[in-house]
Amino acid sequence: MISVRDVLVQVGGRVILDIPLLKFEEGRRYGLIGENGSGKTTLLRVLAGTLLPTQGQVTRQNPNSLGYMPQAPYAFSFSVLRNVEMALENTPERRDNAVRALEAVGMRNFLAARGNKLSGGEAQRMAVARMIARPRKLLLLDEPTSSTDIRGTDSIENTLLDYARNSGCTLIFSTHSPAQALRLAQEVIFLHQGKILEKGPALEVLENPQTESARLFLQHWRI
Amino acid sequence: MKKLCVVLIMGVLILSLTACATKIENPVIRLSTTTSVNDSGLMAYLQPVFEKDTGYTLEITSAGTGAAIEKGRTGDADVLLVHAKASEEEFINEGFGEVRVPFMYNFFVIVGPEGDPAGVNGSATAAEAFKKIAEAGATFISRGDDSGTHKAELKIWKSLELDPTGQPWYVSVGDSMGKTLTVGNEMQGYVFTDKATFLAHENTLSLLLEETDDMKNTYSMIAITSQRYADTNYAGAQAFIEWMTSEKAADLIAKYGIEEYGEQLFFILAAK
Amino acid sequence: MAKTMDVIREIFGLLFGQDPELRQIIGVTLRMSTLSALVSALVGIPLGVILGSTEFKAKRFVNRILHTLMGLPPVVAGLIVFLFLSRSGPLGTLKLLFTVTAMVIAQIVLITPIMTGLTANIVSVKAPLIHETAAGIGLRPFQRMLYIIYECRVQFVSTLLTGFGRAIAEVGAVQMVGGNVQFKTRVMTTAIMMQTNMGHFEFAIALGIVLLVIAFLINSLVSRIQESAGLA
Repeated sequence: MISVRDVLVQVGGRVILDIPLLKFEEGRRYGLIGENGSGKTTLLRVLAGTLLPTQGQVTRQNPNSLGYMPQAPYAFSFSVLRNVEMALENTPERRDNAVRALEAVGMRNFLAARGNKLSGGEAQRMAVARMIARPRKLLLLDEPTSSTDIRGTDSIENTLLDYARNSGCTLIFSTHSPAQALRLAQEVIFLHQGKILEKGPALEVLENPQTESARLFLQHWRI
Repeated sequence: MKKLCVVLIMGVLILSLTACATKIENPVIRLSTTTSVNDSGLMAYLQPVFEKDTGYTLEITSAGTGAAIEKGRTGDADVLLVHAKASEEEFINEGFGEVRVPFMYNFFVIVGPEGDPAGVNGSATAAEAFKKIAEAGATFISRGDDSGTHKAELKIWKSLELDPTGQPWYVSVGDSMGKTLTVGNEMQGYVFTDKATFLAHENTLSLLLEETDDMKNTYSMIAITSQRYADTNYAGAQAFIEWMTSEKAADLIAKYGIEEYGEQLFFILAAK
Repeated sequence: MAKTMDVIREIFGLLFGQDPELRQIIGVTLRMSTLSALVSALVGIPLGVILGSTEFKAKRFVNRILHTLMGLPPVVAGLIVFLFLSRSGPLGTLKLLFTVTAMVIAQIVLITPIMTGLTANIVSVKAPLIHETAAGIGLRPFQRMLYIIYECRVQFVSTLLTGFGRAIAEVGAVQMVGGNVQFKTRVMTTAIMMQTNMGHFEFAIALGIVLLVIAFLINSLVSRIQESAGLA
């Protein structure tokens, strides 16, 4: 339900992303893995629409039902509750929905805290709450647990799994951790220097990488 | 090669310095005059001739009369050229100047909008003209800077026992004659000014009243005493005064303005 | 020595006494500076927000022009406004020359680019992050702009104060287009210049002290705000 075709992203002559064809199916969960600078963030930004590719097109079925969480999500200077409410329409249920989302990520005690006083991990949990506070058809998350501790990571992963299963939304996330990819994704895509080198069911790609670069990337990881 | 150049340059410099130093002890004369005199262009006209004739260099500073005279008190001038008799006499009495040498005069004039709404033209005296302006509430721009011109203007208001300060039609700018005329031109109001500056200034105001008795303006030179400050150039001041009162200077001053404006701007005081 | 005591006594007398002209001059100055700062902020800050948070083709060109305007010498601004407002100029019929309005106009010309530049700098640091997060949540461009402004509100206040400080200290342009007319367009800076030219140092010093105190207060406020914003 979202796809890219002939997408090329060039910055100052350097090719950062080069994807001839990539299709995502509705309701499935995809994990993007690869080295730093391999193009994961760029791909997510192109999918989200915050970066226009130098060439190529992105086709979205439900552009208004998209949620994108960048790598270092911004926490506004008002309360955490407000930070989540701002993602919702002003309806009588808004507060309850926001509170429920924050509870899901384990931030019940932070409702009144100022957004700009949160730690990195707390800000990320809050950003996830923003994403799930209302029904969305597509969630794009750029390293959603990069700053969280084990409990926070657990909390976020469980929340995302529940949400994806219950709402049937498509989930596309990037991660540094192959283990997380295995836990969370149904399909794994391996990016290297802006190109897709591997794509397939999570277990297969992670256990049996076909390309040399993927093998190198995964060599220190065992199931 | 480089060393030779340096030596040559040094040699030329030293030679030129010594050559200059032989003629006059202190070749720089600091003349403090008023903005009116400066704005009239007279000094720019006389300076090159004076410097060529005497070999002195004239450093001219201009300010409002008060500040110009003050330079004599603080030792920042060697000779004054101003036109405020009372202040000048006070200055001499305080012992800052040796002697006061009045040497030329001209008249203040009243200029204003072409239509002359207050009917200034044809008045017998400046006082009469001022009275008409006050009664009509016509815009009048004053220098307001304690200068000789300003003091002369205030004297006339005083003779009428009128204080225009704060009146809505009285615009006090606190600045030079040139600036005051600019404001006068913008507002198309009446201005009390010296004729030379008026003619030298670009504006669309008309000359409405001139050469009444109460508008005569006398210019004097004062050499600053050598007793107060060690570096006062008394000899230079004397040379300046001597040259300015010479026949040649008298001739030049009398000629000033005729070519450009068709009339003489400064008149030489007959020697006593 | 006695003369110095007299001078000091006179200055204090002016500062704490009821000299109406001194107070009137201060009043005109504050009125003019407040108006200049406010209008410049109303125009400059939104422009700065747009400049700092959006990408567009001519951006480099616009930035270059902005930097030129930021470095505009006050007397040149004064000259341009003077030529426009004088009798022989295009706007001469408005009869604005030598009024407080003319001074405010000249100051707006000078201060707005500064406000725009400062704001663009502040915003360009925060804007990309806010933009990405806000767009990711699904906020519309107008809403994103509002949130950017809200998040930078503290620095906007200090920018406004900086503009005020600049306005109050300006002398070249306001002298040219204001004319330093007694009771009408005489402000602290032009009065100090005039009184010094006339040799009335006591009045000039008294005014200078008031100006220094105000400038000091503004700068302290700005520092205080910057610090608290840094910690925020």
